[in-house]
Amino acid sequence: MILSGWESVFFWIFSIAAIFAGLLTVMARNTIHSALFLISSLVSVAALFILLQAEFIAGVQILVYVGGVMVLFLFVIMLVNVGSEERGNEEIFNRPRQVTASVIFCGLLAAVLIGALNTGYAGLERRDEMKIRESAEGRRTRDQELATSATGASRLTNDTSRIGNSLYRFAALPFEIASVLLLVAIIGSVMLARTLKQEASVDDVDPEVLRTEAAHDPALAEVQTGPLA
Amino acid sequence: MFKVFIPTLALLFQEANTGRWAVIWQKAQHPDLSKFLIFGALLFIIGVAGVLTRRNIIVIFMSIELILNAANLNFIAMSRYLQDTGNVNAVAGQIFTVFVIVVAAAEAAIGLGIVIALYRNKETILIDEIDILKW
Repeated sequence: MILSGWESVFFWIFSIAAIFAGLLTVMARNTIHSALFLISSLVSVAALFILLQAEFIAGVQILVYVGGVMVLFLFVIMLVNVGSEERGNEEIFNRPRQVTASVIFCGLLAAVLIGALNTGYAGLERRDEMKIRESAEGRRTRDQELATSATGASRLTNDTSRIGNSLYRFAALPFEIASVLLLVAIIGSVMLARTLKQEASVDDVDPEVLRTEAAHDPALAEVQTGPLA
Repeated sequence: MFKVFIPTLALLFQEANTGRWAVIWQKAQHPDLSKFLIFGALLFIIGVAGVLTRRNIIVIFMSIELILNAANLNFIAMSRYLQDTGNVNAVAGQIFTVFVIVVAAAEAAIGLGIVIALYRNKETILIDEIDILKW
């Protein structure tokens, strides 16, 4: 896998953008800014996915992460009050000693990972050098066989159909498990985010607790317990 | 000063065509698997630093998303590398990425539900003030 020409230019642009947006996500004082920087980091990584010819995953990344998860994050940020942190009268990091220790740990992790990658990759490259050169030719001829788009300027990728085939052929069981997981997540988050009043109205609270809480919350005392009550 | 400065510049210009800089420039023009893996590692470490240093629980969740994204980048880069070394239909990495995204979405939904419940009871989202399970 060797990129060249404009691909390499875009690689540097998007990877540096992803790194800087990630850094600003961690360092921003305002949580909303943090979320917006995370969105730009995710979009940059999606662009890297397109450079790696994983167009379907790039689309899923933008739709699910940016369109779904990050909107959820923004809603929750606006529901909870983080004002004192934004106004600057609250420290945003942990205690200095903890921060120093974790930064040293992360520096060591970075040094080891990058060193290992460099030495390990040199061997891998030597082993696969011929194969990479051959299959670059093969990819070029295969790309000529793809269908052209309506404008005729580019070709349509068959990445999505390959993923779909493999997903339903080899990963059908994990796919079903993932759907059950999502169902559990939906029900669980609805359960977790209920107020005491909502819990009381479906008779989900210990009557003892309900009586003590209702003593200083008149609204709670009027709640009809149970759907049939 | 000139005695040092001008020879250094001359050396740099001389090196620009042939020396170590030329090799680095040549490599930078052709990013390969290792570049993607290094950027994945850097993103991962930024995420780990965020988890370890921040006090705001929502920012910690966002750092976890960053970590998962770095893992996704590695999966996709490896998948492309396998495709380029002979296995034309090697898309297992991309399928793994789909599942990682699914699990990340579920985790975000549950985690943010917990954050809302916690905020309703404790009026705070700073992790060093949430210590009801400690001792």
